[in-house]
Amino acid sequence: MTATLTAPATTDRPAPSPRQLRWLYRLHRPALLTGAAITLLLGAALLWLGGPLTDASAAAWKEYNACGFSPTCAYDQSSILLYKDVYNYTTFAVLAVPFLVAAWAGGSLTGREMESGTARLAWTQSVSPARWLASRLAFPAVLTAAATGLLVWLHRLAWTAADGRVDTALSWDHFPTFYANGTVPVALALAGLAVGVLTGLLLRRAMAALATAAVVLGALWAAVHAALPHLWPAVTEVSRLGEGPLGSGIWVGEGILTADGDRLAAPCLSGGIPGCGSTLADLGAVSFYRDFHPAAHYWPLQLVASGALLLVAVLAALTAFRLLRHRTGKTTG
Amino acid sequence: MTVPAIEADALGKRFGRRAAWALRDCSFRLPTGRVCAVVGPNGAGKSTLLAIAAGLLAPTDGTITVLGTDPASARPRVGFVDQDKPLYPQLTVDETLRMGADLNPGRWDADTARRIVAGGDLDPGKRIRALSGGQRTRVALALALAKRPELLLLDEPMADLDPLARHELMGVLMGQAAAHGTTIVMSSHVVAELEDSCDHLLLVGGGRVRLAGEIDDLLAAHTRVSAPAATDLAPHDVVESRTTGRQVSALIRPSGPLPGDWSTGAPSLEELVLSYLRNPEALTPADTLEAAV
Repeated sequence: MTATLTAPATTDRPAPSPRQLRWLYRLHRPALLTGAAITLLLGAALLWLGGPLTDASAAAWKEYNACGFSPTCAYDQSSILLYKDVYNYTTFAVLAVPFLVAAWAGGSLTGREMESGTARLAWTQSVSPARWLASRLAFPAVLTAAATGLLVWLHRLAWTAADGRVDTALSWDHFPTFYANGTVPVALALAGLAVGVLTGLLLRRAMAALATAAVVLGALWAAVHAALPHLWPAVTEVSRLGEGPLGSGIWVGEGILTADGDRLAAPCLSGGIPGCGSTLADLGAVSFYRDFHPAAHYWPLQLVASGALLLVAVLAALTAFRLLRHRTGKTTG
Repeated sequence: MTVPAIEADALGKRFGRRAAWALRDCSFRLPTGRVCAVVGPNGAGKSTLLAIAAGLLAPTDGTITVLGTDPASARPRVGFVDQDKPLYPQLTVDETLRMGADLNPGRWDADTARRIVAGGDLDPGKRIRALSGGQRTRVALALALAKRPELLLLDEPMADLDPLARHELMGVLMGQAAAHGTTIVMSSHVVAELEDSCDHLLLVGGGRVRLAGEIDDLLAAHTRVSAPAATDLAPHDVVESRTTGRQVSALIRPSGPLPGDWSTGAPSLEELVLSYLRNPEALTPADTLEAAV
């Protein structure tokens, strides 16, 4: 077959970049709408919790505390219980959001495209694999950060509104509350996105990537939780043997101090109990100590933990780019 | 010298360090403007070869240049249709084509896309998941062709099509090649499917290139002969020989004039391909034909 080669008119002109965003939105419209609905519903629940529910619960506690020992006393018990239930459900819902992001990223964003071959379809349009991946990380990351940021902010508002007014309101160091009030869920969700995208590319199976991403994110959170007490220098409180160890907050460690300043494990926790006092004396104990994080360490702990998670997110994203470049080849020109 | 459409040198690919080679030591040169058939049995490495040329897989070994550059840089100028014709099932036909326009800015030819899809009597509002295999092939081809590629790589493009659609789309492809000088590379394990339309052949077997060159040159270089059973066929290169009764019939590459008492004939492309595939040990004429290309 003979044919004159007509050079396409477009080779010299730098081609405008492909418009991917519109199609990313179109392909993941159901997920986006679901995510928006979850965010709005949970946000509304948190506003309800921080407003009317907190007010009703606080009023009920006021009534209850006014009762004293009066045998005939009425207070609004259902408001107190409703507050508690809604607080627990919304807190766990906020903490579950990163797992939804991870599962979606692994299953739908990359896993399904690798499984069905549509990723190859995209890469043989004028979209390079790196650009394809960048779009699948960047736009969801912005939305994820915005949605989770909004939720933890609303959670914090609701928690602050109840602080000191609702007697059963949970303390700052209660772990679900600790996490849901800060930046960790945002970082966790972004790590979930990156880990999900990476597992989708690695496993090339939607369901496998969905499950693996969620499990890996759970392991990541467990690791952060285990490391949490050590992410910031703890405060040490020394107390007399008769008092037992003192200091409340996030617990790091406790024991006894000897006259030489050595730290030993405490065999028992009160010098006042018969037997314990003599045991402590035998060990040469002069005081108890406790290492812990007071409320003032809330933000340092949150920010260091979030930083560590963001580092993992960045590493996972870089690994995904490298993997794709290794698989599909790079430009040499 | 013009830039070849594809030039491979000692190209090799294996998936994993201990896996067998899917493609090994492939060297060939495909000039531009050709319609090239990549033929071979299932699992021969055809799909791997096309995916490497399309910039979807990085080779393990060797080098490949596509349109004078590396496959990744040639991406905007290369069209590719995967064997499974992957498309986004939730999009409609019309949306799929609009996506093609958005993902190929500055290259998209909407008329071509619409014409190919219209040929199949497809409802543009129908979702991809509701299409038959043949209809999906049509949409996939429309996506690849409307990109106005200089090189079009098609992996088993016609497998899902009925004879009528096959004939029509082959016509569209040939028209494209003639009008724009597009180089087309299509793989198939059905030789008859390609015989009429292709002018270049790449025969792949066991991960290696067994034959490469212009089909006319390849056919001219081979002769079908039959001679008395005891005849020594040397010094000619024997691709395949079979003794039946008192006759030996063989496909050979003559290295000089043939004796007058042999009866000779020109082989068909299918005979040529089958002879090479049946005889993996037969010497490949790579060197002699490289010069002819």
